[in-house]
Amino acid sequence: MKKLYSNKLVIFSLVLPGVLVFLFAVLAPICLSVYYGFTDYTGMGEAHMVGWDNYVKLFHDSAFGRSLKNSLLLAVGFICIQHPLAIVVAAVLDKLQGKAEGVFRCIYFIPNVISVAVIAYLWKFIYNPDFGLLNNVLKVFGYQGKINWLSQQNAIWSVLVVLIWHGFGWGMLIYYTGIKNIDPVLYEAASIDGANWWTTFFRVTLPLMKPVIQINVTMAVISALKQMETVYLLTNGGPNNSTQFAANYLYQQAFKAFKYGYGNAIGVVFIIICILVTVALNHLFKDKQDV
Amino acid sequence: MKKKIIASLLTAAMAVSLLAGCSKSNSSTEVSNDAQNTAQESAAEGDEAASETAVASGEAVTIKLFSNLPDRKNGQGLVEQMIIDEYMAENPNVTIEVEALDEEAYKTKFKAYAMDGMPDVVSIWGQPAFLDEVLDAGVLAELNEADYADYGFIAGSLEGFKKDGKLYGLPRNTDIMLIYYNQKMFDDNGWKVPATYDELMSLCADIKAAGITPIAMDGGDGWPMACFLTDILVRVAGTDYAEIVRNAVATGNFSAPEMQEATQILVDSAAAGMFQVGYDSQDYGTTMNLFTNGQAAMYCMGSWDCSMALNEDIAPEIRDNIRAFTMPVVDGGKAGTNDIAAWNGGGYAVSADSAVKEEAIRFLNYMYQPDKLSKYGWENGVGMSAQDQTAYLTGNETELQKQVMDILKNATSVSGTPINDCGPSAFKTAIESEIQGVSNGSTSVDDFLAAIGAACE
Amino acid sequence: MKENNKKIGKIFLWIVLVIVAIIQLFPLIWLVDFSLGSSNEMFTNGLLIIPEKIRWDNYVKAFVDGNFLHYLRNSFLINTLAVLLVVIISIMAAFACQRMNWKLKGLVSTLLVMGMMIPIHATLLPNYKIYSMLHLTDTIWALLIPYVAFSLPQGMFLMTGFIQSIPKELEEAAVMDGCGIYRIVFQIVTPLLKPSIATVAIMTFLNNWNEFMMASTYLSTPAWKTLPFSVLEFTGEYSSNYAVQFAVMALTAAPAVIVYVILNKHITKGVAMGAVKG
Repeated sequence: MKKLYSNKLVIFSLVLPGVLVFLFAVLAPICLSVYYGFTDYTGMGEAHMVGWDNYVKLFHDSAFGRSLKNSLLLAVGFICIQHPLAIVVAAVLDKLQGKAEGVFRCIYFIPNVISVAVIAYLWKFIYNPDFGLLNNVLKVFGYQGKINWLSQQNAIWSVLVVLIWHGFGWGMLIYYTGIKNIDPVLYEAASIDGANWWTTFFRVTLPLMKPVIQINVTMAVISALKQMETVYLLTNGGPNNSTQFAANYLYQQAFKAFKYGYGNAIGVVFIIICILVTVALNHLFKDKQDV
Repeated sequence: MKKKIIASLLTAAMAVSLLAGCSKSNSSTEVSNDAQNTAQESAAEGDEAASETAVASGEAVTIKLFSNLPDRKNGQGLVEQMIIDEYMAENPNVTIEVEALDEEAYKTKFKAYAMDGMPDVVSIWGQPAFLDEVLDAGVLAELNEADYADYGFIAGSLEGFKKDGKLYGLPRNTDIMLIYYNQKMFDDNGWKVPATYDELMSLCADIKAAGITPIAMDGGDGWPMACFLTDILVRVAGTDYAEIVRNAVATGNFSAPEMQEATQILVDSAAAGMFQVGYDSQDYGTTMNLFTNGQAAMYCMGSWDCSMALNEDIAPEIRDNIRAFTMPVVDGGKAGTNDIAAWNGGGYAVSADSAVKEEAIRFLNYMYQPDKLSKYGWENGVGMSAQDQTAYLTGNETELQKQVMDILKNATSVSGTPINDCGPSAFKTAIESEIQGVSNGSTSVDDFLAAIGAACE
Repeated sequence: MKENNKKIGKIFLWIVLVIVAIIQLFPLIWLVDFSLGSSNEMFTNGLLIIPEKIRWDNYVKAFVDGNFLHYLRNSFLINTLAVLLVVIISIMAAFACQRMNWKLKGLVSTLLVMGMMIPIHATLLPNYKIYSMLHLTDTIWALLIPYVAFSLPQGMFLMTGFIQSIPKELEEAAVMDGCGIYRIVFQIVTPLLKPSIATVAIMTFLNNWNEFMMASTYLSTPAWKTLPFSVLEFTGEYSSNYAVQFAVMALTAAPAVIVYVILNKHITKGVAMGAVKG
């Protein structure tokens, strides 16, 4: 058995496809990015080495700063708005028995399976000040003005709303599964102690959900960092970079402003930030679990 | 007879103009412009050439065309498609594959293509912001200027497409910045076409008071607003426009008083509610629809949108009533009514490393035979081409076309390249984003001018 | 009293759930509603319209001019292939890293899983360069490779966890019977992983089905364009016709929604299993 399980050739053949894919599609582009990050390559013609120039420039680039701030804002938005909502709804849904439970769960998840391309264009229409759904809803409640949902001040919040709406089902489902996994005996014990729904929720459900919440929070932060598609189609970072995100910004710099080298420098910093944040979050949560 | 007069006027007007601009304006112009006589001739020649091609090369050829005209059923896109279909019918061995994206997406993808291998025939813009880096990299094929001597290109229209005296592309249109308006709406409400900018401001206030959007502005894309700023700057600075912009781009210093005044006018106009709510985040289609659905009284865009007057998707009571005027004069500005913002922007070129370069150039030349792009364009209401169109005047033009023709005919000077296209593409990216911030009041005029200056490096 | 409280509680519960359901669904109802009208009916004040005339021809236009069937086929094909590859590669690699004895297994498994941290869009620029040098742009590989590469870490992570939970005794018995490693992996272990395979497959499919950033960067001709392009291309083509734009959006969203509603129990189970673990 041991010999069989140590056959180098067999091991090699099993791991090879995965490693190849990793080398070719993940590692190679990163290396290339690192290289181009040190050049002034425009995308065409010759590339010249410029040392750390791109990184120095990036450090002073307010649009890049803005993208990181937006990611932070988004992450906070997810954690403070989407997740509490999702937990509460999941807990409420758990109380509901029978067919309705499945129906609601199904409905909540539907936006999740729809393409981002459709979602972004749909919300562009919903936010339209002249005929959009949102202003029409306000009109039903008697408000006559036209609100510019995608203005420089509002746009980032409007993007947040779209993302919360789109991702709500996912978050809800995970919390729901987490709640379902809680031993019912604990609830019985709580109700014998005379605890009402809210106390049970805060004393029993929430603490037991901690690992699930941690995973979800990590995912939220990461997805806030990686945000690109919705923004690309909904606002393309505008007006005036107010909804800029790192991924979208590097794309714009490389393919619109002819700064391929600079775009790659952004890419490198972006990758480093993502790795640091993931590692930091994992550590943070690991420490807490040990306590 | 009447035709002839218009013809000579047209050519004369264009000859004085179009030389200006911040693109390379030092080279000489050898292009013939007595094309009204040669139009028929060259058309005949063209037909010959086309049939020769078909006979000459029997093997199957695929030409990839990358176009910025996604709407293949109206206006310029329709014209392009018509010519492609004709060419394929005449040359059964040739297949032309079209990839079409709208302007912003097109430019992004174009740059991606420029890195490694372009489609054979591409849309381009004969303006520094777009073309300088592209030509430096040598991705476009050189064309033989002498071949186009009798194609009737307007004097000076090829200048933006040249580098070191060599020609790399051909212009498609003569673009004029216009403010379209809904004449019926104006008449019904007793509104008048403004003669001065102050009148425009008070007109907009009246329209707004009537609960209608005064001007539909595509601010989400940035470039139309930059064209609008160009138009104002032309009113303020007159024929100094090109010089001021060229200096500013060269030095990175945009603090010229004319620049400040023009920007301030834009800011004040936006603050006064001249544009629709949310103009700074709305795209081309949405903006145009606001006007074509009667939600806005005016619409600011280039003359290429004249084809609205023939677009079946637009309700007849609106499409028949579309008229246009040019930016009214600014108090104390140096420009008169007939100094207009216009340029030869869009056009086509052939990729330098195309595998079917000769076929591609043959197709390019076919498109530019005067009875193709120019004639079909005119018949489909697409504003003015960059070639002499006088042979195709029918007298059945839409009112809008006649107006545009008059505007160009009466022009005493023409601005040349709009401001956003005068610098490197980093400058273009910056100004098209920053202009949103300054117009909606989140950036001050000084910060705006400093920011776009910094992008010139 | 207590009964009453319970009843009020129940009503409150229902209200919350229904409101959330409306928020989640109404935009989609709005979309379908206006897709059946004509464009100028957009500019009304009501929330929904009763179209003067139901215009199915909007959908006909969307279906034909949106290249719907062709793009749907591409999406389906590319995604299915990606799922297959991810499942097979991740089972193989996970097995090798989890069960077999070699020095570098810790490093390799960490590396493969680390891909999860890499933002996919950061590779857009260099990958474009690489693919165009190798003439892979505008081929199916330009999508397949990154789709597999960026779903693999998750697949690998999940599979490692699942394989860990399979008792070793089964394999030991198989070795006694003289099975080789490949037979053990594909005939003994793989069948046991069925639920996990479903999870990995669903996650991969959901990840890639809606992807368009890479598709729009790496592809140029319609040959391999995927479903989101129906929408992306259409808005330019029919920029003056809102109703048709709505129709194409509804049409593009439909396949995924229909499949989801039919398979919703399995899909939610799969997602839940993957997400809680992942």
